[in-house]
Amino acid sequence: MTVERALEAVPSRRGPGPTQGPRLAPYLFISPFYLLFLTFVALPLVHSIWFSLHDTIGLKSRVFVGLDNYVSLAQDPLFHRGLWNSVYFSLGTLFLQLPLALALAIALNSPRLRLKTFFRFAFFSPVLVAGVFIAIIFSLVFNHEYGLLNHILASFGIPTAGLRWLQDDRLVMPAIILTGVWRWTGFNMVYFLAGLQSIRQELYEAAAIDGAGSWQQFLHVTLPGLRPMLVFVLVMSLMGSLQLFDLPYILLTGAGPNNSGLTAVMYLYQQGFQFGRLGYAAAIGWTLFAIVFVISMLQIRFLGKPVED
Amino acid sequence: MSGLPLGRAPLVMLALFVFSATMILRRPAPPARQIEFWTFAQTHYDEYQARKAEFEKRHPGVTVRLQLMQGSILRDKLVAAFLSETAAPDLVEVEIGDVGRFFQGRPSDIGFADLTDRLQSEGWIQKMIAARFVPWSNRGRIYGVPHDLHPVVLFYRHDLFTKAGIDLPKEVETWEDFLKVMNRPGVLDSRRDGRRDRYGIMLAAHDATHFRPLLVQRGGDYFDAQGRVTFDSPLGVDTLAFLRDLIKQDHVVFRQPINWGPDMYGPMKEDRLLCAFTPDWFVGLIKKNAPELAGKWRGMPLPAWERGGRRTTTHGGTMIGLTRQAEQPDLAWELLKFYYFDRDALVTRYATTRIIPPLRAAWSGPVFSEPDPYTGGQRLGRLFVSLADDVPPVHQNKFYAEANTLLGPAVYAVFNQGADPARELKRVADELRRKQAKDRFAR
Repeated sequence: MTVERALEAVPSRRGPGPTQGPRLAPYLFISPFYLLFLTFVALPLVHSIWFSLHDTIGLKSRVFVGLDNYVSLAQDPLFHRGLWNSVYFSLGTLFLQLPLALALAIALNSPRLRLKTFFRFAFFSPVLVAGVFIAIIFSLVFNHEYGLLNHILASFGIPTAGLRWLQDDRLVMPAIILTGVWRWTGFNMVYFLAGLQSIRQELYEAAAIDGAGSWQQFLHVTLPGLRPMLVFVLVMSLMGSLQLFDLPYILLTGAGPNNSGLTAVMYLYQQGFQFGRLGYAAAIGWTLFAIVFVISMLQIRFLGKPVED
Repeated sequence: MSGLPLGRAPLVMLALFVFSATMILRRPAPPARQIEFWTFAQTHYDEYQARKAEFEKRHPGVTVRLQLMQGSILRDKLVAAFLSETAAPDLVEVEIGDVGRFFQGRPSDIGFADLTDRLQSEGWIQKMIAARFVPWSNRGRIYGVPHDLHPVVLFYRHDLFTKAGIDLPKEVETWEDFLKVMNRPGVLDSRRDGRRDRYGIMLAAHDATHFRPLLVQRGGDYFDAQGRVTFDSPLGVDTLAFLRDLIKQDHVVFRQPINWGPDMYGPMKEDRLLCAFTPDWFVGLIKKNAPELAGKWRGMPLPAWERGGRRTTTHGGTMIGLTRQAEQPDLAWELLKFYYFDRDALVTRYATTRIIPPLRAAWSGPVFSEPDPYTGGQRLGRLFVSLADDVPPVHQNKFYAEANTLLGPAVYAVFNQGADPARELKRVADELRRKQAKDRFAR
């Protein structure tokens, strides 16, 4: 008996399966995913690259223009404005939303706190609120005369006469950042909470025996233990922030006064769906992809991988 | 089960597949004679839904499928349907701000059917306000039928002006008169102490929402009939400068909230807003949001720009279009006429929405002459109808959305940052002209 014959004679783990010819079954089983992926993701992506090299007006008229769209984009002040607003929001996320989410997670992880489940749900629940309700709630919160925010500020003696949050181009982005903080802080808090719960308690006990106080434990145990989760949340939040669209769009019903709420993705939407420049919109999309990709790679390069090896 | 080479999972998947496939195959096929109709307005949907059984009764075997969706979603779905040349409805309503988008490219790219010949041969154009066909026309052809007229009047607080000893309709013929009245002692300062605690009128100070209707009132517009940019004309500059001056004056203008939210009715309810720029569709919104003001408002013709000038303008609009993908265009056309040209239907429309239809024959309905308790028994319908023939044309084209978007920041800068109206309008107009010059598909 040759070696091959001997191998054929050995029954497979699941019984005497097909042993002749290529094993098609596995490929058939995974094929629906790949067919759907190719049809609805890969092909449109490739097509959009091709689209970005065309001048398109209307539904079917287009002319090949090479890299013209990308050159125009580099000189387009509205795209720069949108990009800057996206970066502005990202900075708000980085310096306001994420530290707050971490602080909340640490507070809710405390063994001394009661009603933890209630608080966790309460902070997480804004994520479940539909965009249209957020628009209504926050248009009332930010109202110049009747709004809750100005009312609170006035109670602290802060003059609110000039604080037209959604009508003054200098205040629109801070208003959007505050709304973003309300909406997403609880969501990121859940990630941090999961990260905190994965840090072994023995490490804190060992640190305490070594004489570390709360701050030193935070610096030398909590933060290093949270590092993979921190990187993950940071990368995901910045990617999400740079792709910001729905929040300003629903709150301002558009780009807001003086385009102060215009983001890069909103500009893409305007060009593609409102102005009919699908080629230019595709060029915006790929440029944005390149920017987000580079930033994410830099984050991972300098902060480490989001998951431990 | 040990005889199965890949375990139990494929069997489960197969069972699910067979079950799903059976359910899909058992679904009832859509009726052979179905007309699909998309709209974005709840009030329109309710009206059409209530009457569709009547149409189906008149056309046995025909089913009307109405779909209501949010305005921007409808626009995006329609763009996708036209682009892919599939899944478009037979009939669809489109809002005036979106329609230019569908006139882009070559005439053959337009997804709507050309209705010019049908409208002319059946004499509908003569029966309606001709100016209302202008926004839905492109390169000399008509692609939509107007849903409404949207004349604008001035709503004013009759009770507050009476208390101040002012008969507003008698004293105000022009915008200059209006401003003079607002600056009279005791009007904006209710305590007559010079400290203003009321607002004269609600207008948008953050974008061009009211710039265009006021420019149109004077005979101007963003574009002329040939699609040339015209808003930087002396008329445009003067209109923008006048609006800026109104906004700059203490308490003359209440800055309209950016998203038309419920908070804009606050000053009304607190007796702190004296007047409102009111298209017909806004009447229903005021009534709904400030019912406690019943009997306190009255309507009057809009102030003109000069004595003897036009006392109204138009704001907003909707069309219905028949798509080229309609499988039974004649049947869809019948449904369009049933909803848009039937006198009884239009009378009902006014009774429920206060929207004035553009079909003249409808205006003789008694409902248009009924006293309206909300305006103290004033015959509001007659007021709107009396202004109908003066409603000016507006020119929509494929650059409208872009013009509006570019004008927003320019107007903001004029109203809020001291920018010069002439310079800002020229800057935006030149930018648009450059874009038009680069348009490869102009003809």
